[in-house]
Amino acid sequence: MNNKLKVLRAMRNWSQAELADRLDVSRQAVNAIETGKYDPSLPLAFKLARLFEMPIEEIFDDGHEG
Amino acid sequence: MTAMKDKMMTKDPQHRGKPGIGWPIAIFVGTALLAGIFAGYSEARADQGHSALAPWASAMIAIALGAIAFAFYVRRHAAWFRQWSPRKRLYWISLVLAGALGLVSAILLQSHGNADLMSDSALTPALAIALSALWVFGLLVALIIYQRSVDDHERMAHHIGGLAGFYAFVFPCPVWWVLWRANVAPPVEVMPLFALSLTVNALVYLWFKFR
Repeated sequence: MNNKLKVLRAMRNWSQAELADRLDVSRQAVNAIETGKYDPSLPLAFKLARLFEMPIEEIFDDGHEG
Repeated sequence: MTAMKDKMMTKDPQHRGKPGIGWPIAIFVGTALLAGIFAGYSEARADQGHSALAPWASAMIAIALGAIAFAFYVRRHAAWFRQWSPRKRLYWISLVLAGALGLVSAILLQSHGNADLMSDSALTPALAIALSALWVFGLLVALIIYQRSVDDHERMAHHIGGLAGFYAFVFPCPVWWVLWRANVAPPVEVMPLFALSLTVNALVYLWFKFR
């Protein structure tokens, strides 16, 4: 699954460690999500959406249209 | 306004004054070395016919000194540690507890002249009961704390590693057993299987956690 996490993080000038602290997860978790090696759970996806103040589908893209 | 908010968020106090990992490692290694020195000194005194400390006593002194040094380290960086979330705090407590259990077990074994964990040499009942209690109760507490504090990503790595470790036991174990029954393999031994399972578990966990 593709996501815009790296771009959103860069726009706020946050390091992976800073984003990890805001989400209360490890830095490795942020890195794994950013590089597409791990898809977050629904609670974590909602947490990301709240942090970046945008809908989940604007952060994550499963490649399906419509 | 947004720029100001972003700037404030960037200067997160959580990332100021982060202590290095050097001191905890030095304390851990120093404690193990100190235990070895105490044990060696006690043994030398006993060999010369002088009174010597019991093997467990010298180990406990080294562990107590290590615990005091670690407490000073935590106190020195208390402000930074206080900023940790409860989850992160619990997570590190579980890791430190598991590490301390390993250190105590190794020191106890070493102080009784059993440096090799895989050795079949006899242990005293007191040492065997102490090590069993440490393994069962200590690890149980550490794992309960760990399971309550891991994040999504680590839980995934932990589960896949656990499954790989389980497979590394259930596949070789019956194969070895039937081969032994046919007299084409030596008798089944639990420790090599345990070591294989634990090694596979650790490698797969580390791969999924840090790749």
